[in-house]
Amino acid sequence: MKADPKSVLTGVYYIDGDVAAGWGALAAGCKFIAGYPITPSTEAAEAFARVAPKAGAIFIQMEDELASIAAVLGAAWGGAKAMTITSGPGYSLMMETIGYGAMLETPFVLLNVQRGGPSTGVPTKTGQADMMQSRWGSHGDYEIIAISPDSPQEMFDYTIKAFNLAEKYRCPVMIMADECVGHMTEKVVIPAADEIEIEPRNFYKGSAEEYLPFKPGSDLIPQIAKAGDGLNLFISGLAHNEKGYPVKKDEPRGIYLKRLIDKIQKNKDKIIELKEEETENCEVVVVSYGISSRVAIKGIDMAREKGIKVGNLRLVTVWPFPDEKIRELANRVKAFVVPEINYGQIVFEIERCCDGKANVVLVPHGGAGVHNPQDICDAIELGAQKEKKSEGIIEFKTRLEKLVFEGNWSAKE
Amino acid sequence: MSTFIETLANGIKESGINPQKISITSDIPFRPEDIKYLGVDYFHTNRGRAVAFGTGLKLTNPSLKVIPIIGDLITLGGNHLVHAGRRNMELTVICINSFIYREIAHKSAPETTTKFSAYSTFEEPFNIPHLANSCGAVYTARWTALHTDELAKSITEALQKNGLSVIEVLAPGLNYYQGIDKIESSLLNFYYENSEIKEGIEPRETEIRNDQKIIIGRFTTLERPTYLDTYNAQLTRVLGDKFIPYSGAVAEPKKEGE
Repeated sequence: MKADPKSVLTGVYYIDGDVAAGWGALAAGCKFIAGYPITPSTEAAEAFARVAPKAGAIFIQMEDELASIAAVLGAAWGGAKAMTITSGPGYSLMMETIGYGAMLETPFVLLNVQRGGPSTGVPTKTGQADMMQSRWGSHGDYEIIAISPDSPQEMFDYTIKAFNLAEKYRCPVMIMADECVGHMTEKVVIPAADEIEIEPRNFYKGSAEEYLPFKPGSDLIPQIAKAGDGLNLFISGLAHNEKGYPVKKDEPRGIYLKRLIDKIQKNKDKIIELKEEETENCEVVVVSYGISSRVAIKGIDMAREKGIKVGNLRLVTVWPFPDEKIRELANRVKAFVVPEINYGQIVFEIERCCDGKANVVLVPHGGAGVHNPQDICDAIELGAQKEKKSEGIIEFKTRLEKLVFEGNWSAKE
Repeated sequence: MSTFIETLANGIKESGINPQKISITSDIPFRPEDIKYLGVDYFHTNRGRAVAFGTGLKLTNPSLKVIPIIGDLITLGGNHLVHAGRRNMELTVICINSFIYREIAHKSAPETTTKFSAYSTFEEPFNIPHLANSCGAVYTARWTALHTDELAKSITEALQKNGLSVIEVLAPGLNYYQGIDKIESSLLNFYYENSEIKEGIEPRETEIRNDQKIIIGRFTTLERPTYLDTYNAQLTRVLGDKFIPYSGAVAEPKKEGE
């Protein structure tokens, strides 16, 4: 299905990532956003709120993030494509209900423009430290999809993709942006409506008597329904059977749970998007996502000038994690270099997939800024000097850290 | 609890609204065998979010009637009720108040010690009709679960109102006393016998106190524009013909072969 021309602001713009995401949501067919203002994500909600009334869509400012996410789930079960927009503290508040959404297999999108944490942290500056929370933040076992854009153009494109994935896999999809991407202003090209492919909602059309809201098709994904269609829905966050009724004592438990995991894990190949460059014949691979992947490009160029063979692997999809790709690379390369704006999150996933076959160098950053490309270049050099074996995760000492923790002022330059 | 479901069914039937267009959202888990015969859609939300979930449901499809059934003395999610009142969101909230009163009208409540109140209860309950009235609800009432006819009539009236209606129902908890039939029925009788109907009284005077009978009845009925009324009016005023009046957000379904 093509996008609705009313909802697509076709043209060439010079806008920031937040605005691009707000417009992307509208283009994707999102008709309902509930949110509560929080820096640095507010502009995305503002952008949507400004254009929504002219496209038959609605934005509602709820009383808090607990209400925002609950209203989004309500809207999704009412039949709308819905999204909420937040950052750090708001994201933490939403966690319980995200699990509820995953349990009900509700299609919705959540944009998290990450900021420095923990707690109130650095509201106006960047961070990438919610990556593990996006995967494991709610209690219990579940799977979500998370994508990490690195430019305003991608904020537009991948917001549309997020909606399409949510519809296809009936699960929460997180857009894990960061303050830099959200507040970065660049050229954004919005194509014509008939060039934007939209995944329509797969509503159940059969008889009410036969409808089982959680009975999967061959792709492990059930057809969804909406309230008000006479289907006598019984939708509960309790462990439920295919009918949606809570499982009884004599019914097998955990079947629903296995499928919640499997529907993402077994469709991984179709979900995961990676961007690779010169990974065929390299000794070190830089693995990054979000704004760090933009900074990494410079670091990689600097290392290549020194004659080091460096590959670049960008995780556009962070969850589900591309285990196979990392495993395959681990067989060939000496080391992975992982710059991320935290003290180690995705690096643990890479170490796990390496299985002791290659070194993993973490280039950490405490937040409120991005890496110095020179640090990434030096970390690549460090990785290239090591032998091809595993010393565990090697934490690279960045210039900033030397400056702050060792009083090494010469590192200032 | 089956008493309440029966009353709810009667209230819905009397309102003439097609049950298929009614959604119940509740953080209290109803049993499928209780709810399925109502012919409504039922959403058992996570704790405290029934009103917020209902807000999303109602805004997406304004033709639905949404009945959030909440409990817990509106602790979890109390803020959602407050703001639903402020917005005059079209919801029919039924608050099942299972607060365990220690002493009402100079009488001790039946023996109700539980794990959380091993030495009985000393906290004051909210005056829910007064709270809802202050927040802007257009309809408030309080009944005990045994006032079945009056409660059913209130539910009918509330469903026909445009805006936030809040009905407090005094009834023992659903699961707290499950299987303890004696306590459930003795509490029900206790509430019933110690209540007094005072219709139209100022909501602020309906506090549940130790030294007087529980005041029940209908307290608020007024008219106020709903959230969507004010939304559409404001946007029309500001945007003129550029505004597409909001009538719902239901997505287009997938067609054959897509």
